[in-house]
Amino acid sequence: MMPSAVSDHETHTGHGITKFTNCFLVKGNDLVKEDLWISSTTGKILQSQEVFYGQRVAPDRIIDLGGRIVSPGLIDVQLNGAYGFDFSVIPKEGASAYGKGVLQVNKSLIKTGVTSYLPTLTSQKPEVYHKALPFLAPSGATRDPSSGSESLGAHAEGPFISPTKNGIHNVSVLRTAPAGLPDLETCYGAFNLMAPSPIKLLTLAPELPGALNCITSLTDLGITVSIGHSEATYEEARAGIAAGAKMITHLFNAMRPLHHRNPGIFGLLGTASPTPTSSPSASPTSRTTAPRKPYFGIIADGIHLHPTSIKIAWNAHPDGFILVTDAMSLVGLPDGTYDWTNGSRIIKQGPLLTLEGSNGKIAGSSISLIECVTNFLNWSGATVPEALKAVTATPARMLGLEGVKGSLEPGADADVVVLGLEGEDGPERILVVEQVWKFGKCVFEKGKEKESDGGL
Amino acid sequence: MRLIIRDDPQTASKYIADYVIERINTFAPTPQKPFVLGLPTGSSPVLIYKSLVQRHKAGEISFRNVITFNMDEYVGIPREHPESYHSFMYKHFFSHVDVDPANINILNGNAPDLEAECIAYEEKIKKVGGIELFLGGIGPDGHIAFNEPGSSLKSRTRVKTLAYDTIIANSRFFGNDLSQVPRMALTVGVQTILDAREVVIIITGAHKALALQKCIEGGVNHMWTLSSLQLHPHPLIVVDEDATLELQVKTVKYFKSIEMVANELGFQQILPCAARTGEKRAAIIEELHSPKGKQTSEFKLEAPKPEIARSVTPELIPDRMASRILENAARKPQGSENEDMSFLRMNARVDSLLGVGTN
Repeated sequence: MMPSAVSDHETHTGHGITKFTNCFLVKGNDLVKEDLWISSTTGKILQSQEVFYGQRVAPDRIIDLGGRIVSPGLIDVQLNGAYGFDFSVIPKEGASAYGKGVLQVNKSLIKTGVTSYLPTLTSQKPEVYHKALPFLAPSGATRDPSSGSESLGAHAEGPFISPTKNGIHNVSVLRTAPAGLPDLETCYGAFNLMAPSPIKLLTLAPELPGALNCITSLTDLGITVSIGHSEATYEEARAGIAAGAKMITHLFNAMRPLHHRNPGIFGLLGTASPTPTSSPSASPTSRTTAPRKPYFGIIADGIHLHPTSIKIAWNAHPDGFILVTDAMSLVGLPDGTYDWTNGSRIIKQGPLLTLEGSNGKIAGSSISLIECVTNFLNWSGATVPEALKAVTATPARMLGLEGVKGSLEPGADADVVVLGLEGEDGPERILVVEQVWKFGKCVFEKGKEKESDGGL
Repeated sequence: MRLIIRDDPQTASKYIADYVIERINTFAPTPQKPFVLGLPTGSSPVLIYKSLVQRHKAGEISFRNVITFNMDEYVGIPREHPESYHSFMYKHFFSHVDVDPANINILNGNAPDLEAECIAYEEKIKKVGGIELFLGGIGPDGHIAFNEPGSSLKSRTRVKTLAYDTIIANSRFFGNDLSQVPRMALTVGVQTILDAREVVIIITGAHKALALQKCIEGGVNHMWTLSSLQLHPHPLIVVDEDATLELQVKTVKYFKSIEMVANELGFQQILPCAARTGEKRAAIIEELHSPKGKQTSEFKLEAPKPEIARSVTPELIPDRMASRILENAARKPQGSENEDMSFLRMNARVDSLLGVGTN
């Protein structure tokens, strides 16, 4: 029996309430057999019992999901581009074409189950930030399901990173900020560093001059700082965390490897104190106490990391584990060599992206987030809710959006993904995106794409 | 009283679920003529609700035109509290079936005026024409709803202080902290339940055996409020074997035999509700009220004449009774007449005795 969003009994009493039944909800580390009520009027998940008794309202639509999994919408905190559009490239046609490109990505991306994300800029010249960032600011204020996936703010990956751990970032655009905030303003534009900033997450290397002051200033602006593309020793990384950094960008990649006498950035996962359970980044006392275990991004595409490394990291700190795609604009395009930013070119061979003339430096991924979850599921022995947590509740908590995104609790945004689990008894389990709901409305249904598009 | 005994709580609960479904479907409720159902909370009814939900999902019963009234609710805990009876009903029943939330009635333990809430509840029941079937369970002390021992058997919906036993029993739902357990509740009264056209009670478990014994074999007693059911025209109690532990073997056997005989003769122990017996009753009433053929044609427009049926008391004649007997009848020789006319022989004997006495 196929689940259907349209065929089930539908009455037009007009409360905009949909009830999912016969389904398993992802709640914490458990799959709970429970109904879920969502509202397309408020775009939120409902406290169904209170609606039932308080407003004396029954759902307009009841959808029998036939035992499928209902997960919060997926969150990707590192996505460089997709469908041929690169967030780091201002088209020749100018800024308005860029804005249109972002909207196109949003509309396509949501079909993969990613209902909100951080559009990510690799290290660029200041003018790119000045033009691009305003288009990447949080886009959810209109609460319009037809806009597709929602930006939660930009992720500025660089350019305050180490020239020796640059990955594929062009060394010529990398900078330092010895003067702190003024240097940051010169780079990103002062108007982009005023609260509310379009930047949500910023990756930098803590060992660079002035970096620790920058971390403090950025944290005060409500921007979360992540450590990455860095030569930092364990001690330098600790100082970064103590200054307010909360995350590590693509752990293991573009940083020193773990050495038993110098554990490097990875050593932060051995820190005793736990990750804060909510988002007390604003709390001034948190900086003076012992550094906390940071969140960390993991690219589970089978190319960037060995599955065992992923498992070690997960076991070291499951509550900080965030799966990211680090996907590039070449996702979905045919194999070949493509122009990239700052005069570089990227070679695409299947899922593998490398920088031309770099002896095979990996240039991001071309994988979808749900595929990362599936990979992790099969490599780690994690349960389905544990794996999904890494792309829902954990990134939401890292971004200070606990209970708003990445959650099926009442009051959270009704961004919902219905997943099928294939091959449950076999050696490989595969999660398949069957339906995507944004702000309480169905925006994608597998096999019914045209109808869903027509409904938008 | 109908007492149905089943092997275990599962089959007892299934019997009730089947019974309720049969009753609702036979009633054929419509928006104009809804079925009014009284509902309990507690551990015993959980299996009944489970069964009802299953049957609903199988498409065998709809609650769309059912109006529900719950028995009781705690005072002073929020509606969304996991132990509130609102939560219980939502979790176990309402959220899984097609009942219209507008048709659901549960006492509001947070009402600003609790007394007014109770009065309004009784009026609401009256307004929908009374409760067709009240489903219930009991406590180990035989309380029905929160009508604790000593409750008036004529009681109506009201605020009730919980018995210490009940508070202890309920503390397991409140982290074993007695201070967290509500001390008061709103509850329908015993009379409210007795007013329902049918009352169906589930009792399972050995710990309720004494209560069942008191209510079935004892007299009507306000210390065991369920015993008031003895005064109801259509009570049905469904129990498991464990609950019968305190009953006399004779009692158990009798009620089992009733069911057995009923099954053998092909009639169910079901309430003769209007839907089932309506036609028959109408026919009988028509027959009883229609005057017989010829008489009606003659006295069509006349009021029926009062007939004085009583005969006039004859005047007392102070004679010997024996003198009224005919000479020849009294003198008939014995045995000469038909054997059937035995009174003659008796007469003859009386006569001879009289003859002895007077002569």
